[in-house]
Amino acid sequence: MQRISGARGRVTTGGWRLGASLALALALAACGGGGGGNATPAASTSGAATVAAGADAPTTITDAARLAQQASFGPTDALIAEIQTAGALKWTARQMTIAASTYPAAGTDAIDRWTDKNASWCEGNTEAGSTARLYCWRDNYTATPVVWQFYRQALGGGDQLRQRVAFALSQWLVASDVEVYGSYGLRGWQQMFRDRAFGNYRDLLRDVMLSPVMGEFLNNVNNSKTDPNENFARELLQLFSIGTCELNHDGSLKGGNCVATYDNATVREYAYALTGWTYPAGGASGWCPTGKCDLWKNPRYLAGAMVAVPAQHDQTVRTLLSGVSLPASRTPDQALEKVLDSIMAHGNTAPFVARRLIQHLVTGNPSAAYVADVATAFETGRHAGIGAGTRGDLAATVAAVLLHAEARDASHITDRGYGRLREPAQLWTASMRALDAVSDGAWWGWSYGDEMGQAVFSAPSVFSYYAPDYKPPGSDVTAPAFGIENENTTLNRLALFQFLNVFTGTPLMVANTSIADSFGTTVSRARFTGAASDPAALVDRFDLLLTSRQLTTRQKQAIVDAVSAISVATHGADWQAARVRAAGYLAMSSPQYSIVR
Amino acid sequence: MDRRDFLRAGAGVFALPLAATAANAATSDYRALVAVMLNGGNDGMNTVVPLDARFSQYQAVRGALALTRAADADRALGPIVTLGGGAWGLHPRLEALAPFYDDGSLAFLSNVGPLARPTTLADYLAWRNLNDADKLPEALFSHSDQQKLWQNGVTRTDTSSVGATGWGGRSADRIATGLYSFAGNARFGVGSTHNALNLPGPGTNLSAALGTWQPAATWAPTRKLSDGLMTMFEAPNADPLFTTLARLRANSLDAIQRLNDIVLATPTSANASYAAIDSAFRTSRRTTASGTATAYDSSLGKQLYQVAKMIASHAAVGGTRHIYFVQLGGFDTHGGQPAQHSALLSQVGNGLAAFATAMRTLGLHDAVTSFTLSDFGRTLKPNSSSGTDHAWGNQQLMIGGAVRGATGYGSYPELTLGGPDDAGTNAGNRQGRWIPTTSVDQYGATLLRWLGLSEADLDAVFPNLARFAARDLGFMKA
Repeated sequence: MQRISGARGRVTTGGWRLGASLALALALAACGGGGGGNATPAASTSGAATVAAGADAPTTITDAARLAQQASFGPTDALIAEIQTAGALKWTARQMTIAASTYPAAGTDAIDRWTDKNASWCEGNTEAGSTARLYCWRDNYTATPVVWQFYRQALGGGDQLRQRVAFALSQWLVASDVEVYGSYGLRGWQQMFRDRAFGNYRDLLRDVMLSPVMGEFLNNVNNSKTDPNENFARELLQLFSIGTCELNHDGSLKGGNCVATYDNATVREYAYALTGWTYPAGGASGWCPTGKCDLWKNPRYLAGAMVAVPAQHDQTVRTLLSGVSLPASRTPDQALEKVLDSIMAHGNTAPFVARRLIQHLVTGNPSAAYVADVATAFETGRHAGIGAGTRGDLAATVAAVLLHAEARDASHITDRGYGRLREPAQLWTASMRALDAVSDGAWWGWSYGDEMGQAVFSAPSVFSYYAPDYKPPGSDVTAPAFGIENENTTLNRLALFQFLNVFTGTPLMVANTSIADSFGTTVSRARFTGAASDPAALVDRFDLLLTSRQLTTRQKQAIVDAVSAISVATHGADWQAARVRAAGYLAMSSPQYSIVR
Repeated sequence: MDRRDFLRAGAGVFALPLAATAANAATSDYRALVAVMLNGGNDGMNTVVPLDARFSQYQAVRGALALTRAADADRALGPIVTLGGGAWGLHPRLEALAPFYDDGSLAFLSNVGPLARPTTLADYLAWRNLNDADKLPEALFSHSDQQKLWQNGVTRTDTSSVGATGWGGRSADRIATGLYSFAGNARFGVGSTHNALNLPGPGTNLSAALGTWQPAATWAPTRKLSDGLMTMFEAPNADPLFTTLARLRANSLDAIQRLNDIVLATPTSANASYAAIDSAFRTSRRTTASGTATAYDSSLGKQLYQVAKMIASHAAVGGTRHIYFVQLGGFDTHGGQPAQHSALLSQVGNGLAAFATAMRTLGLHDAVTSFTLSDFGRTLKPNSSSGTDHAWGNQQLMIGGAVRGATGYGSYPELTLGGPDDAGTNAGNRQGRWIPTTSVDQYGATLLRWLGLSEADLDAVFPNLARFAARDLGFMKA
């Protein structure tokens, strides 16, 4: 199959896209569907549309609530009803046909066309002492403007599953603004995950490998052929595709102990194979007046795909994994495709991706059978009629994750170690969605996420926020998100619930005057006040939304007691809202809200 | 109300006794270790350099990344800070530590790293494809695995009882030790029966998170809400996810009652008990040729500030043996090393200098030993990105009044690419990754012995220790 992204990579007009219709035409012309080019859902999710048009197969309300927890940024009554009516299969397929939410433009690429050697772009383009100057770095160099939109769209976007999958992918295919500065580039990087979420993993990996953001993050841009650094090559293998130990199809260790998948010598082979790439055209630098830096390097530019420089590519025979080798004479593009061949053919890749998707959506501690079944979907490229049938199909893989009995069958709820700690970003979104929040996303993204160990798009390193094999101390089960949960962050979790429900004001957060379109955050309890006069019914409303009705009798009684203590005698005219706040606070504080099963 | 307001609001319900923050005269029986994890792989080759005949060898291989005797404006590579007798030098940004070397309370350890057993180059070449963690450490050169092995202290897989824990945690399993981390969860503080308590940075009011906790309230709405919260602190069943969360919540309640005011204090609190600490951490120290910074300005400095207060208030904290864990990240200098490494070492040098100064003023210098750890060292030969790649054996620093300082320990590697210490397997693979000649086991045992573990304890904490000739590397006083 011709590589579709060549249509993007080789065009000399520069910039990220040719224009959606032209790129799409090239994509469809060159390859009959399935994972390429300007990745609109229709081109990349054959089968989903058909399944989505099928008959409803209604499910129970608690199954719908659980799927909403697994496949969205937080249940709402409307979403639960929608899933309940359609059933898991049809709803999942329908989600895959919904167009991706688009991050608006962030910052400006003018920062990478600034040629003044004596003043920074911020100094040259904002007035000293102005608000624009004060926030220039935030608005043009960090991921923060993208993070606001992440949260805003997580609350309101219709493509919930796509956004969840994109967020999951971005947590192991990591590039972070702790080391890459350029909001316009970081925006494109995050959009990539949304566009590729239901396409093919090979195409996503190719985008990752050609991304100038990744090129900068792991030092592969301008990595020359004489003494390349090993950073990207190593993490491509360790963290993006196959890991350090040979795996069986079900994700267990081959032979029971770790057999190394590669050694340092192999890492170096990959490093040489990935040499010869520079930034895309579009940038300018005062230090490179001829237009090239050091004769062959393009000035820094973070949008589009990196550009091949064949003369700067290693020309030595190289031995890769999976029986793939590189002839001495070759181009960077040819080498890159061979690298992808070696990864996609490797037996580890399917269970590697399968386990991570399961962990991010359903449970941190899947059974071997669950991993195996999802790995099979990855390899065959089709599951329940969804997928294009090509190895690496993410739509098929995601469908397998969500439709598997281990996700859908409520008897698994009590499997030892089943479920996942609701990670901080999703703690906020789920709480906001449960409270009908209207938010510009500017509050949480700006500062609070960091207090709980998950500053979105600002992972501390390529190793993300937490390791996929993290086991809590003294425990024999894998619970990755507990890697960032400790006494400190757990108090911050409780502080959030307290703030949202107890020591709360209206609006919850005022507009941030330093942000152009900020309007703050407000929540509404109108949905619940009707049930306030019936404590048990009120508790059940929150129980369904927040824990899929997994609160125990004892817990529910404790909430009923707290609610019942509130009356017009204690709280005056505001007593119903006060009851809703008490119920919300305690339900959110329940372990079952934080541990999603 | 913004986020910071609500973290500090706390509804004014907690008024912990200020006595909790009273500094204590040095308790002769008190000892503390401070583990300083440098995440990413600190380049030890540019941390401590030999200034004898080996210096020119070092320069020849290091090329543009070599430290120099000449000054540069950024003090990124020069001038080297000459130590004591002139045989060794420190990175320029570590100059604040030089006086401690000269007064005998700073030492360094050469070429230390994870080893399953003493390993020669021939051993490495013979064992490297065996996948036997009893011969060679697993997953050499992988950040996550090597961080784990440094903190784990034994080259065992996670499936063994000792493999899933850290040597800080195992120390607490053996003798009563208060274990505290200001750097989040880390393997180091995980034990079988004891785990590190994670605490936040200065200015954090832990009690603010639980303003609803009012167990003695008489007004029913407040009381019932508080009771309901306590019901939610219980694990609903015995599943490990729930018991883990419940344990964290219970620990945080304990921390609030015992440690809130200690954690909360900042230099602007002007708490008299912490005057010496505040002063040391707000002293400006040189960074670049023209720039300065205080230790409190930095991430590592703030963590060490928290440790200093806990140590000063150790009577209120409780226990006569403490182990603290702090960290600094960003050491993975594959590219652009001079600027990045020097900025990080400023934090290390200024932070540790401030900390040791405070300890000295408090009369606790002899009672507190700080030491560094890191994933691995870095290749002596740079790459083409002005950086270095993952290596193995590394240099570490130890500082405190109980350190037998003013010298180096261990065996400094032979700086020959492809030489007897280089874990290279072919011509394309010899960038100077030194096979360690001292193990993490030996390093940890020397430190924990000083803390008070018996020889039997040490063999339990470091089951491989007997494989190495020297159980005690000799860098600690009794």
